[in-house]
Order: sequence, then C-alpha cells, then structure tokens
Amino acid sequence: MEKVTITLNGQQIETTTDKTVLQTALDNGIHIPHYCYHPGLSIAGNCRMCLVEIEGIPKLQISCNTFCRDGMVVHSTNDRVRKAVRQVLEFLLINHPLDCPVCDQAGECWLQIYYMTVGQYDSRFTGNKVIKHKKATPIGKWVMLDQERCITCSRCVRFTREISKTNEMVIFNRGDHCEINTYPGRELENRYSANIMDICPVGALTCRDFRFKCRVWYLESADSICPSCARGCNIVIHHNPHRPHKRNGARVMRLKPRYNPEVNKWWLCDDGRYNYRFIDQGRLRHCSVLSPTGREQLYLDEGLRRLAELLRQTPPRQTLLLLSAHSSNEEAFAARRLFDQSLGCLCKLPDEGVFTGDQDDFLIREDKHPNTNGVLRIFGWQTSDLLPMADLLDFVAQKNIKVLLVNRHELSADILGQLDQLECRLVYLGTNVTPAAEAAYLAVPLATFAEKEGTFTNCDGRVQKFSPAFLALGDAAPEWEIYSRLAQHLGLEQAFPSAAEVFEQLRTGNPFFQKLEFHEIGAFGELGAP
Amino acid sequence: MELTVNLKSRLDEIKRKFPFAFSSVLPAIHAVQEEFGYIPLEIEPAVARYLAVPQERIREVTTFYFMFNNRSVGKYHIYLCSNVSCWLRNYESILAYLEKKLNISAGETTPDGRFTISLVECLGMCEQAPVMQINGISYGDLTPEKIDRILDNLD
Ligand code: SF4
Ligand code: SF4
Ligand code: FES
Repeated sequence: MEKVTITLNGQQIETTTDKTVLQTALDNGIHIPHYCYHPGLSIAGNCRMCLVEIEGIPKLQISCNTFCRDGMVVHSTNDRVRKAVRQVLEFLLINHPLDCPVCDQAGECWLQIYYMTVGQYDSRFTGNKVIKHKKATPIGKWVMLDQERCITCSRCVRFTREISKTNEMVIFNRGDHCEINTYPGRELENRYSANIMDICPVGALTCRDFRFKCRVWYLESADSICPSCARGCNIVIHHNPHRPHKRNGARVMRLKPRYNPEVNKWWLCDDGRYNYRFIDQGRLRHCSVLSPTGREQLYLDEGLRRLAELLRQTPPRQTLLLLSAHSSNEEAFAARRLFDQSLGCLCKLPDEGVFTGDQDDFLIREDKHPNTNGVLRIFGWQTSDLLPMADLLDFVAQKNIKVLLVNRHELSADILGQLDQLECRLVYLGTNVTPAAEAAYLAVPLATFAEKEGTFTNCDGRVQKFSPAFLALGDAAPEWEIYSRLAQHLGLEQAFPSAAEVFEQLRTGNPFFQKLEFHEIGAFGELGAP
Repeated sequence: MELTVNLKSRLDEIKRKFPFAFSSVLPAIHAVQEEFGYIPLEIEPAVARYLAVPQERIREVTTFYFMFNNRSVGKYHIYLCSNVSCWLRNYESILAYLEKKLNISAGETTPDGRFTISLVECLGMCEQAPVMQINGISYGDLTPEKIDRILDNLD
C-alpha cells in the first residue's frame, strides 16, 4: 500500500494504492453510479455502471475494479462517460417491467435514482421484453422475489456465499435468460436472510414483512440500537408519523441496519430486525393497582405515591428489585442510586435469557439483552453475581422479601402463585402487558428503547447511544424519570432530569465510563475503559 | 442418486489436477454428462459433496453452458447453429427440413430415443454456414441432400 494522488474530475485527491477509484470517489463524497459494488462484498464488476474515463487508457474502465495509481487522471462526469453509462442503464432497463407504481422498492430504488441522473428518457426499444416466471414469490420467511426486476448484479449471491455462507441464491442460465433464484426445492433459510433485500439495489428482493405497509417517502427515521442481544447492532427505526390512521396506529414500520464498522458493519440478524412489534402492540400504558373489584387505573403520580408508601412501610432489606438488562446505563444507574444506595433495598440481576447457548461466530450473541454488560459494570458485579431465576423463590423465602419489584421480567404462573403464598407483594415495571403485570399489586408503565434516549454497553464494552423515534405511549416513561418522581414522593432529594445528566452522574465515580462524554459519543459508539 | 464407481474414479482424477475445489466443477460436469448423457438434478448433491463445493455452484455452471443437458437426450444430439452467419445462409430452411425428416421440433427427442435437435449459438465455422454438429463432429455447407447422407450413415 502506497500513498498516491489522483485527479478526479479536476480535483486532486489523496488516496492509497489498495483503494479502487470508486472507493476513493465515494470516500470523498463523489458519487459514481454503481450497482454490483458493495463495500461489504467481493468485487464482481458485472453491472458496468461505474465506467469512468482514465487518461492514457483508450477504453472506459470500471472504477470498482481499477486500483488507484499515482498521477491517475479520472473523469466520471464528462460527456463520453455519461453517454456510456446512459447506454448501460438503457440495457439494464430493456427487460425491466417498469412497474414502479406497484413496486415496494419505489422511492429507494437505484434504477429510479440513476434514471433521474443518467437515464435515456425515451425508450428506443420496440421488441418484446423477456418475461421471467417468478413474480411476487416468497423464497424464504422474510424475502419476496420478483425475478423480472432483477438486474443480476449478484449482490445477493455474494452475500449468501461470503457473509451468511449458506449459498442459497444463484444466478441460473445465461444472457437474457439469466434468472435469480434459489436452488430447486431449496428455501432462503439463514438467520441473516433479510440483509439481501437491503442490498438488492432494485425491487427484485423485497421484504415480506414491510411490503405495502407504507411508502418509503412517508417514513421518518431515528438512530437506535437493536435491543435483542448483547451485540447491540446499530439500527435505524423507520416509523410513520404522518399517517397514524393506517395500520391501527402502529408507529414502527421496520428496522434497518445502520453501518458501524466496529459492530455489525452493514448487517443485522433476522431475529433482531423483526423484533419490533412489542413497541406498538400490547403496551402497558398506565399505572394500575389491584383492588377488590379488579384492576383500577391510576394517574402515574398516584401510582408512584402508592409505591412510595409501600416502600416506606417495608423494611428495605425485605424489598428486592429485580433489575433488567433491557434498562439503559442511565436507568440502571438511577436504580442503583435510589434503591441500592439511598433506600438500601436488595438489588439483583437475574440470569434469565443470559446463557441461552444460542449464538454464532458472526453477530448473534447468546445473551438476549442489550445491556447486561452495562448493568454489571454499574453495580460492580461479575456474571457470577447473577441471580439464577430458578432460585428466585428460595431467595424470597430466605430473606423474607415482602415487596418484589420486577423490572420487565416474565414470571411463570407458578412463581406468581407462590409469591402470593409467601405474602410477597409484586410490583411490576414494564413496557408490555404480561401475566406478571396483570397479577401485580401495582403495575408501572415504562418506555421502550424506541421512546427514550440513552446508552447501552454491548458485549465488547462499546457504549452506544440511541435516540427516541417518538414519544412514549400513555404515561410510560424512562426509568430515570419514574425514579425521579418516586424519589420526590419518598421525600428524597434525588433528581434524574435527563439521560445526559444521569450519564454525567454515572461517569463520575465509575472508572469504566469516566472518559466518556454523553454528547460526544458518536454514531459508532465508544469503548469504555479496558 | 449415488455416484457410480466409474464416475468416482473420473472425479478423483479431476480433483487431483486442480488446486481449488471450484476449478474442478466444469470438468466434473463434463464427466457426469459422459456418464449419464445429461446432468440429472438428483446427482448434483452427490457430486457437490464429492468435490466439496456447494451444490448451487454446480447448477449455476450446468445452466450457464448450453452443452450441458438438463434432461436426457437422444443417442445423436444435433446442434444446429442459429447465429448471424447461419441465419444469413438460411439455417431456418435446414431446421424445417430436419424437423420434418425426424418429425420433431427443435428441443425435442424422437420417440425411439435416437435424435434430439437443439438450436445453439455460434459453432465457430461461419465460413461453412449453415453448420451443425452431431455428438461433437461438425458438418458445414448443409443442404437437405447432405443431411440425408449424414443421418443415413449413422447407425
Ligand atoms: S435479486 Fe437484487 S441483489 Fe440479487 S442479483 Fe438481482 S438485482 Fe442483484
Ligand atoms: S445480532 Fe443481536 S444485536 Fe444484532 S440484530 Fe441480531 S439480535 Fe440484534
Ligand atoms: S459497480 Fe463496477 S461494474 Fe458494477
């Protein structure tokens, strides 16, 4: 690798010999049209959209497979290049059905985008289009195939070969008989399958879950972190604030990967990508208390007043808070401050969903929480300090626990019954209506990750920030806000005004977080102290 | 479907010649076709396992080249060129004659399993157009009479 300077469209650019002309251009904010090139895959060089003129070489060259040399003079926008690229696009569109009005890719389709910039506006083709057989055919659990929209860029083929290593996608036949498909009798079946519809530049592969739910131009987005395992893949939440009357008020339309070179690169696993329904469905919206006539709904402050009363009446060592590794760093810190340090209650993090054994050597981690690492570090614990869920009842009996606060955990009917027998009052804090929430003496609604700001610490100790996509439903709120109000009812001078301020309190006194500044944690997150 | 002993030894020989498993796919498919006359879909998994490549990679190669048959063909497989030079020299009349003589259309096999007609791309003998090839042997400057002579001399 050598440092070199090339001239691209008259502009001098410093680059290195291990970079292609296309990479160099993209890194410097100059867009050269391309379909088959994807930074996460091997170079195929088959679409020919990235043609450029290089002085001294008579023919146009594909910039995705031409490496930079010192003094190279490249043109990507002159008439000769534009004309060639227009012709390439014209060929790519010859057998394309042009069914944008019924295509779910419309609005984020690279055929449309390049058509606007280099398109041959009037078709010169008078022959019959070659018709492909598979239209709107599911090829796996999540992906829908429309063969005739395919431009055979082979990105999906290379993904299943190089990334998922499962080889399902193949281009069969040759020339204009080319057809993208799975092997006869085989389904697209791997845990990263939906990535191929992200990287398909056109509408040949679309998402069965998202199809026709919402036109992409109605979507808004918020940067976030996948909460479904300890990897903490970077995502964007695409939501639909403009048409709440559609789809029964569901707000989240889809999750998409967000590039982070240190964590998930361009990818997401299917489990994480499609685990979003709980944000809109079956939510716990209000405080409620168990009364002789059933559940009675309370204003948030009335619920918290009653909780304060309960905590005051119970000796702190007989109060147990079961923490959740779905809580953000700030929330876990606020819980520690209030329950552990000020009130002196017992706090435990159960081992539920931590050692599932379900992991691979790519992204998926066996710990199905986004922040076990953070909670452990905030409380100064090791994984050996986790409370085995199977020992919960023994612990409650042994310590004579009279108030059990459960943060999000699901409790079995058996445990719920036994708690009753042990005369232990259950207080449930959570995002969704669950059997535990319905059986609890008091239920308090929490905001989901999509409704709050904060940070998670992933399995590698990377502290990553997420931002709210929309407001929380009903009275639900982040834990630090709930605990602030609870502290007031307890007559304590303790305030957790915002995620940023709680983080500030957290980092003073915790060596792992000390060097981090909430507002300076960038899009890729930052590692805590080793 | 299992590999025959003969095919296994052919594949062993092929594997020895190539540094990468994937390089052996093309010659291996040729060997399969010589063994069965076509590439049965059911044999692909066994071949793939034997070569240690994904079965998808075998299928993509067999469908790419026209000279690999995806179903069984007649004893004599007639390739008739349909590209520009042969078209200019009226291969269509040759095709019509062949179809009439054998009483099948292009792409079909005679009921007695003797002949299959396939339309193919350039066979590389444009100077003798129209051209056909039967089981690897090429014939140029075709006329109906010449076709009669060629076919009648096959056993
Ligand atoms: S289906 Fe999409 S990604 Fe796959 S080859 Fe076709 S255009 Fe490319
Ligand atoms: S690997 Fe983990 S963090 Fe990444 S998308 Fe899947 S569940 Fe989410
Ligand atoms: S991007 Fe260069 S040939 Fe496709």
